[in-house]
Amino acid sequence: MSVAEAPPAQATRALGRRRARREFDSPRFLWLFLGLFYLWLFAPILVVALFSFNAQNSLQVFSGFSLRWYDAFFSDPGLRSSLVASLEISLVATLVGTVLGTTLALGLVRARSRIAPTANVLMLIPLVTPEIVAGVSALLLFTQVGLQLSLTTIVLAQITFSISYVTVVVRARLTSLNREVEQAAMDLGATRLQTLRLVTLPALWPAIIAAGLLVFALTFDDFVLSFFTTGVSPQPLPVRIYSAIRFGIKPTINAVGTFMLVISMLLVALALVLPWLMGRRGSSIATVMGEETGGRR
Amino acid sequence: MREGRYWSIFLIPGGIWLALFFAVPLGITIAISFGITDDLGNPVYAWNPENYSRVFDPVFLPVLIRSVGYALVATAVCLVIGYPVAYTVARHGGRFRHLLILAVVLPFFVNYLVRTYAWVTLLADDGLINGLLGTMGITESGVAWLNTPFAVVGGLAYGYMAFMILPVYAALDRMDPSLIEAGKDLYGSPAATFFNVTLPTTFQGVLAGCVLVFLPAVGDFVSAQLLGGPGTYMVGNLIQQQFHDAQNWPFGAALTVVMMAFLLIWMVFYLRSAARAADEGVA
Repeated sequence: MSVAEAPPAQATRALGRRRARREFDSPRFLWLFLGLFYLWLFAPILVVALFSFNAQNSLQVFSGFSLRWYDAFFSDPGLRSSLVASLEISLVATLVGTVLGTTLALGLVRARSRIAPTANVLMLIPLVTPEIVAGVSALLLFTQVGLQLSLTTIVLAQITFSISYVTVVVRARLTSLNREVEQAAMDLGATRLQTLRLVTLPALWPAIIAAGLLVFALTFDDFVLSFFTTGVSPQPLPVRIYSAIRFGIKPTINAVGTFMLVISMLLVALALVLPWLMGRRGSSIATVMGEETGGRR
Repeated sequence: MREGRYWSIFLIPGGIWLALFFAVPLGITIAISFGITDDLGNPVYAWNPENYSRVFDPVFLPVLIRSVGYALVATAVCLVIGYPVAYTVARHGGRFRHLLILAVVLPFFVNYLVRTYAWVTLLADDGLINGLLGTMGITESGVAWLNTPFAVVGGLAYGYMAFMILPVYAALDRMDPSLIEAGKDLYGSPAATFFNVTLPTTFQGVLAGCVLVFLPAVGDFVSAQLLGGPGTYMVGNLIQQQFHDAQNWPFGAALTVVMMAFLLIWMVFYLRSAARAADEGVA
């Protein structure tokens, strides 16, 4: 940044002032800030992952590589049954939530009824309601109806939230579809159901799959809803982690946490890669985040 | 017309589900919040508005105020950190912007408990941070980070940061960059350009981000449970206690209803702006 060597005094002062002002949003300063932010964001998670391989029972000193905490995790029958329970919950919640969420999105975008605009907004409420409210009310519903708290009640609670999530993602994709293609199919004699199956759904698949994978990850990780609607045994993994942490910090939790982290990352990676492989034009990140790309095209 | 009615059928399954498992439970919660408990601790429907006066009892009121305070500070922290992050990615991210914003979202998919627990291990008396401070000779005995409001608010900000960055980033992304150039061409200082042009243009995104952080932060109980202690408990901890330890479900329901009523204002505000944005998007 060597500008003119000896500019007139006034110009130097003006230049100096301008440079000082530029500091405020200079890319260099911002990049430094961004770097520190990512450090703050990732360091805690990486520390957990690193110490899950610690040979010693310490959170300060890493004394060597070992798989003993993973061994402790997988040889604990309680934790193992919790893992299976969590996978079962996520699988069922994802399947039901994706089907119901997709149909709801179709109805919300295509129906010209008077309730559709209201339903569009109502459907967002479960997403902005604090989870503890949903957890408490689900618990009260189940106990009032006389339903025994179990994996089933967790699944029922998780589906509710999954529907809204899937709807948002699929709806965004649906609004960006060209309706004329559907109209063309029907002009060519396809029934409504055939049009849906042969034209609309294939175009929606990337969004549906991405939404499903993300819902799987979210339900697999969910703690609050599960915590309020869980039975005694088996409890899903996050609930087990919670009681374990309250009992005291143990490196086994690091291993369980890292394992869950890997599963979630795999699901997110799949959610990003699959729509892309399926030939969706544009960014799969936009699909995943449910960004409304419609209307602006 | 018939076309529209055909598609209306698609609204039914999801609509019924959300009504049955979201709207009805909220109604039950309101009903039970006026109830009493029988000798076994089971909730019984009754007319007992005392649950609500108890919420504003001097014992519990500070907890409510504390929850709102913590959530507000956490929201402010998220804004002060999140805005520059979103700004840097949107303005200077170039072709890496998608990757950079994905990196912001990624930790959000790591279990919230595990992320909070990560901070517990870092901030513990014998944790890594105190270990580092000790070896650097800054402190001898270490700092008691845990059980402080700082730890709880920090946990909230860490947990919900993505909710702030995403809407702000979306707003910055939509913004026409030539507006900033225009501001600078008119000899606005970077600060003046930012406060007169960039910030007002992205104000909707900032509001959305603030509401999206504030809502879950008020209802959070994990951060205060793991990073804090009884002195930093929030309304979520109180509710959780009523349902698990104290076994006073009607009072817990009343606390939930009061919290929900308070948050409803912000929720309606957010949903209205979301609906308006959707309308503009379609038009």
